[in-house]
Amino acid sequence: MDALEIEVKALNFYYGQVHALKEINLPVYKNRVTALIGPSGCGKTTLLRCFNRMHDLYPGNRYRGEIIFKGRNILADNIDLIDLRSRIGMVFQKPTPFPMSIFDNIAYGLKLRGIRRRSELSERVERALRHAALWDEVKDKLNESAYALSGGQQQRLVIARALAVEPEVLLFDEPTSALDPISTAKIEELAVELKKEVTIIIVTHNMQQAARISDWTGFLMLGELIEFDRTDKIFTSPSQKLTEDYITGRFG
Amino acid sequence: MNVERRRKIMSSVALLLSSLAALIGLFWLVFILADVLINGIKGINLSLFLEDPAPPGMEGGGLRNAFVGQLLITGMATVIGVPLGVLGGTFLAEYARGRTISRIISIISDIMVSVPSIVVGTFVYAIMVKPLGHFNGWAGAVALAIIMIPVVLRTTEDMLSMVPWTLREAAFALGAPYYRVIIQVVYRGAATGILTGILLSIARVAGETAPLLFTSFNNSFFSWNMNEPVASLTVTIFQYAMGPYESWHTQAWAASLVITLFILFITILGRLILKWRFGR
Repeated sequence: MDALEIEVKALNFYYGQVHALKEINLPVYKNRVTALIGPSGCGKTTLLRCFNRMHDLYPGNRYRGEIIFKGRNILADNIDLIDLRSRIGMVFQKPTPFPMSIFDNIAYGLKLRGIRRRSELSERVERALRHAALWDEVKDKLNESAYALSGGQQQRLVIARALAVEPEVLLFDEPTSALDPISTAKIEELAVELKKEVTIIIVTHNMQQAARISDWTGFLMLGELIEFDRTDKIFTSPSQKLTEDYITGRFG
Repeated sequence: MNVERRRKIMSSVALLLSSLAALIGLFWLVFILADVLINGIKGINLSLFLEDPAPPGMEGGGLRNAFVGQLLITGMATVIGVPLGVLGGTFLAEYARGRTISRIISIISDIMVSVPSIVVGTFVYAIMVKPLGHFNGWAGAVALAIIMIPVVLRTTEDMLSMVPWTLREAAFALGAPYYRVIIQVVYRGAATGILTGILLSIARVAGETAPLLFTSFNNSFFSWNMNEPVASLTVTIFQYAMGPYESWHTQAWAASLVITLFILFITILGRLILKWRFGR
């Protein structure tokens, strides 16, 4: 039986006047991969960015409804965003290494949390890099610029950076859309491996990817959650006509 | 005459004209630099840097006072102008990004960049020389700083804007507050660009004469005191070149060479840093 990690309740989201998400209700299960699929502009990335309140960076954005995480509504005004974002990490579409060394990239989030001791930093950097299956490739060049890595390595570096602060949830925003097939396969394997420790929500354009790595899938269209079910159910016998049309490639 | 032949002739004519224009422009540039080099090198000797000016009409002496004064004024201008410019640019590119106030300040800065420097000189004369009743080094430094600020500010703004927004989002997503995102991530990404801007702005003000003529003026004696008139190379060149003595002319040439080389050095350094960073 899957245990609940996050519960989205009657969530509405507005970019100024634009009503981007409409009455979303969605469970996110612990130690499972939940995929969000749907045509461009359907609101899947918008939904993903609600979980770590990225929308707060821009003026005019508004939430209504609740996202319950650890018994609290994370959309409430009194939520500490720094704390929230250390519990719910995010990996973006394009790799976003910082202009500093590989070591410093991983240590960045740890230093933000006040960890200063070199020995502890070293230990946790190594652990994060091992987790992200990058350690063997970079262990001899930790002090080199992160920009020297390939795109796929950079993306795993970014995942390691997010993992270093030991989050409970990881948000992936189309993490492989800028990568070649081999790097993509590595990231996918990694996601499956990581779910032993973290809960993963992934937005993807690639339906095969959703089918390969996720346990649960939500299909969104025009800001509404059309269907949410176990991935095998969604891909074999969806209950909604729209879902079936989308996954069989009739539109999208 | 067929079309292709005509096009070839047109092309040759255009090539000839543009080459000629480039040659004429280049000729004067090389002429000036060569002239400064040939005339200046005669006056270069150790006493130029180590001795203060001899009494008018006497042979010998040097321009130690002007070298030190120039460094003092330019250095203080950098100390005043660079932090203001960098912080201002940060405000425009980060905190006021996309807001009207940011656009307005950017446009005013662009205008400020092309304001004749003598206008800045007279402005500082009115606020820092007239009320005090005498020329002083601080006024010179402030005048140069005022010229530096818009240059540094605009470069900083442009360089910060070039740092991809996703990089900031990634730092925010790790729970970083904005000031740490700016200092630790954005500044790092833009560091070489900002440094280049600072160097070029120093090169820009190091050759200014007009603003100093109204502010720090000149001093025939060696002085560290910024509350008094302070000598500078550019004003000294101006006075010596106009003066009646042959030895003054030689020293003015030498000073011209030194300051030209200094500016050339800083400019090339700036370009090299830029190339090293963005050349790939």
